[in-house]
Amino acid sequence: MHTASLERPNAAERAFIDQVIISRTGHPGALLGILESVQERHPNKYLPLETLEYIAAQTNTPLSRIYSVVTFYALFNLQPQGDNTICICRGTACHTRGSRNLLQSVRLELGLGLEDASETSEADKTLLTTPDHKFTVRTVACFGQCAMAPVVEVNHRICGHVNERTLQREIRTVERESY
Amino acid sequence: MRLPQKKLSIRIDGELISAVEGQTILQAAKANGKYIPTLCDLEGLTPVGACRLCIVEISGTDRLFPACTTPIQDGMSVTTASTRLAHHRRISVELLLVERNHTCAVCVSNGHCELQSLASAMGISTVRFAYNYPKLGVDLSHPRFVLDHNRCILCTRCVRACADLEGAHVWEITSRGIHSRIVSDLNQKWGESRSCTNCGKCVQACPTGALAAKGCAVEEMVKRADNISSLVHRREVQV
Repeated sequence: MHTASLERPNAAERAFIDQVIISRTGHPGALLGILESVQERHPNKYLPLETLEYIAAQTNTPLSRIYSVVTFYALFNLQPQGDNTICICRGTACHTRGSRNLLQSVRLELGLGLEDASETSEADKTLLTTPDHKFTVRTVACFGQCAMAPVVEVNHRICGHVNERTLQREIRTVERESY
Repeated sequence: MRLPQKKLSIRIDGELISAVEGQTILQAAKANGKYIPTLCDLEGLTPVGACRLCIVEISGTDRLFPACTTPIQDGMSVTTASTRLAHHRRISVELLLVERNHTCAVCVSNGHCELQSLASAMGISTVRFAYNYPKLGVDLSHPRFVLDHNRCILCTRCVRACADLEGAHVWEITSRGIHSRIVSDLNQKWGESRSCTNCGKCVQACPTGALAAKGCAVEEMVKRADNISSLVHRREVQV
């Protein structure tokens, strides 16, 4: 639902957004590019609602259209993301090679629990962030790397033939690196 | 100055019909008194082809085409009713009934609902699929109107009535697939939406009881979707 994240874009952010809008208006599908650039610049890789409101006002786009686009594409986040992203493939090939167990072990490892109570984690889609914002665990339908199933992406690096031990090691490594 | 419109002749169910170039199959059929079932189409609004009920057979191709978005071509031969079409239309209606919680007995639009009358016209008294029973909310925040997601069929008539006609663009569809919902502004409550002008066009455009006026009891919500169409026609008149 509507979460009031009181994060109004500051002057520098507004200047950046204005610049992106100027460089992209006139091209078809400009909104996608604008949203992508603005999200990429945010330290927590997400789009606060106040930023969306600002973009809507500057581009003369209806608020509902922007919200529709942001929720349609999986690449946009409305919640702050963790510093490290672990993306687990839940496609058919990876599923048969045990990606559900991987997902569950990661969730237990990071203390995210196994209950799917929140509305962001629907049956086919999981998106969870640890309270300390160090890790985000998400699922994807298919990476197109089925020969290496099960596949896990750690900080945009694809790891193939993952088992619970190697995944645990990967998490430890990125945890150490982030300090 | 308007250019003289080119006349085309097509066959609908074997009957020769003359239509104007640029018309869709549905428009040509309607103009000649031919009935094609539809839920998402409303005269005056941009066709989207969301409900897939107006599918027709076109001779020469094995595919089925939505009549509301397919433009006519000269010499086209269209079939609007067949066992194959009835089979597909029946599946579409059954899936619409299964997707949300359509309980006619407690619905404000009972007896005036386009989904209900279509289902009964097709003889659908039971559905063959398991009900989805989603847990969905009702938005009562607007002072005059109610939004009940349980009765929404995602035809986007309200979205188009608001964007095309009123120009407020309050409504849009959020998420994808089974998680799609009608949403106002940035997922705000309808009553808190700043762009809503309280005109009620979306309510009149809604084919089911998803959007209704407050204070209506069961069966009391009678909609005037034809008001939307006549409003569009009146705006087109140049004096």
